[in-house]
Amino acid sequence: MYTRITQRSIQSTSLAGLQLNLGKLGDLQQQLSSGKLITKPSDSPSDSVSILELQSEIRANQQYSRNADDGIGWLNTIDNALSGAMDNLHRVRDLTLQGMSTGAADAQAREAIATEVDQIRQGLIQTGNAQYLDRPVFGGTTAGSAAYAADGTFIGDTTPVTRTVGDNTKVRVDGAGPDVFGTGDTQLFTVLADLSKHLRQDPTQVGNDLGHLDTATSRVLGALTDAGARYSRVMQLRQSADDRVMDLKSALSGVQDIDLPKTITELQMQQVAYQAALGATAKVIQPSLLDFLR
Amino acid sequence: MSTFSGISTALSALYAQRRALDVAGQNIANINTEGYSRQRADLQSVGAPAVPSMFAVYDDAGGGVDVNSVERLRDTFLEQRGRSEHSQGSYLEQRKTDLAGIERVVGNLGDTGLSHQLSDLWASFSDVANRPRDLAARNQLLQQAGTVASTLSEQSAVLGDQWAAQRQQVGTLVTEVNTTASTIADLNLAVQRATSGGLPSNELQDRRDGLAMKLAELTGATVRNGADGSLDVYLGGSALVRGATTEAVTVTGATELTGLAGNPVGLSWAADGRPADVPGGTLSAATENLNTTLPDFRTQLDTVAAALVTKVNDVHTAGYDLAGTAGTPLFTGTTAATIAVAITDPALIAASGTTGTANLDGSNADKLAALAKDPTGPDAAFRSLMVRVGSAAKTATMRSSIQDTVTAAADSARDSVSGVNLDEEMTNMLAAQRAYEGAARVMTAVDSMLDTLINRTGLVGR
Repeated sequence: MYTRITQRSIQSTSLAGLQLNLGKLGDLQQQLSSGKLITKPSDSPSDSVSILELQSEIRANQQYSRNADDGIGWLNTIDNALSGAMDNLHRVRDLTLQGMSTGAADAQAREAIATEVDQIRQGLIQTGNAQYLDRPVFGGTTAGSAAYAADGTFIGDTTPVTRTVGDNTKVRVDGAGPDVFGTGDTQLFTVLADLSKHLRQDPTQVGNDLGHLDTATSRVLGALTDAGARYSRVMQLRQSADDRVMDLKSALSGVQDIDLPKTITELQMQQVAYQAALGATAKVIQPSLLDFLR
Repeated sequence: MSTFSGISTALSALYAQRRALDVAGQNIANINTEGYSRQRADLQSVGAPAVPSMFAVYDDAGGGVDVNSVERLRDTFLEQRGRSEHSQGSYLEQRKTDLAGIERVVGNLGDTGLSHQLSDLWASFSDVANRPRDLAARNQLLQQAGTVASTLSEQSAVLGDQWAAQRQQVGTLVTEVNTTASTIADLNLAVQRATSGGLPSNELQDRRDGLAMKLAELTGATVRNGADGSLDVYLGGSALVRGATTEAVTVTGATELTGLAGNPVGLSWAADGRPADVPGGTLSAATENLNTTLPDFRTQLDTVAAALVTKVNDVHTAGYDLAGTAGTPLFTGTTAATIAVAITDPALIAASGTTGTANLDGSNADKLAALAKDPTGPDAAFRSLMVRVGSAAKTATMRSSIQDTVTAAADSARDSVSGVNLDEEMTNMLAAQRAYEGAARVMTAVDSMLDTLINRTGLVGR
């Protein structure tokens, strides 16, 4: 028993084949025009999840980079402020030595020195109130605009300000006032106030003040070094976040984007197949016994 | 032996061959008619009387030819298979369409998808952590939270709309089932009458088979050949059409998505309210989508919303706002449909982790931003929803395309029996024509024989 083939079945088979070919052509065309291999989850459920994960990972790392930029702003401000403070402190030390050597005799000279120390103290209090985007960088999380009052007392708080610059990586970007400028007798502004007072009234105490000044200075220097170290750490982490964004983007592209030469070649092949199907259909539907009967 | 029997033999052949030619003509005319089965003139030689009796000696060559019937060529088993494949095919087709619809709602991989919006929300928390006093950053965060909430509720609403549309579609389909069933019953009656009257009913039967196929595609109904050439249609064991009578079906169950619990959408018999079994076809897929698939995915979306609300609120209420007072919930609602942002004043965002007086701590906002990586957070829940939608849609698409091949094979087998082949009809036409010519020649031969007998003999003595 042979299988009967009818014109209608050939016609419907040909039509189905043409539809299939045209469908594949359409899919490739869509991939080419969108540039994406995966446009909906059903194209590849597992790859879709990878795409979502990569996308949120990229977003997170971009944010790390932004956070790091902000942290760099803070640390830069601290660095500038403390560098300036160091210059002033060296000057104060010179003045102190000068005051000690002037001796008890020349009250006028000591008054002049004391006046300059006072001025420097005012300047340093301003340094202590250095701001980044309206926030005092030595004031912790205080809502106020200053870390130190005009008389040199600390009015900020010591809650650390941190920036998240990587997965589970937080870096402290502020300098707590008491850590930088000290507390009690060796608090920088107290030391300077004492110095100026003693220069005026009791020069014998100035030697003692010099010791306090050196303690305070080395503390500021320590804070400066610390800020510098944190600065370079944040810079590194920002760089690594940026690098990671690049890596993730290329991974995302590997999953989601089409391989252009491959897709174009496939499109060409599919076009050839479609044309062949069209040609075959035109040939196969045409003849029947009718053509050969008189 | 009758003198004229040759003429009547030739005449019967002329009749029969002309009938065969007519049938070939009818076949060619319907070569492109959907559901037409080719017909064949069943010729039968007319022989001697079957009952011999005295003085009825019959020594003729035969009584010629007779058209016994015009048969419709159709294989019942192939038809049965065709119906079951078509039923499965339309079930899978509908399933594919339904899941693609759901996928279009939730499966956005691009910049406007929920996953992207969640990432933006976490980034906004980070920005607030960086600048707790910056009201612009806080406002931006509220906007972003609003976007996420409205995307969730919009997607939930669209799934609800899809449910309502499909519920309506089920109603329309059931009406179509009832109409088709009653048409089949009418045709059953017509076929019965035609059969008992000895009239041809091939075309009526073709039409009836087409309608039975439609019922199979809609409901997965099975068909049995009843008495008197009628066609009985069964829905899972109960008769939808028996002979000339039909049983109507109606839709029962919830008319709103909210009333679905304990009241699933289904079909039942109009007469006594018994539930009607729908073994396959479009209706089966539609009720499955209404009762299981759509509510399931909507619940999954609710899970995402609930994860977002709980996780964010837990952290948010543990923090302190710009004035230093304890934070209030950032989101209200428990489902994707009800989720909304509870805070309108940007200063109330609890970015600080330090209690007491007003301060510019951002540690709590930082904790909120870290929810992006939470393995039980909304991102993870959404990804799991995405993978489920994607797998379901992909499976349905693949199964449907495989079934298409199977259905095409079944159709091709049916077509190979019932379809009209032009070459074959040409050959039949040729054979009938030649046979007609032959019969005519026989008649001419008999005629000239009689001419000889009548006009040329008995001339002796003229």
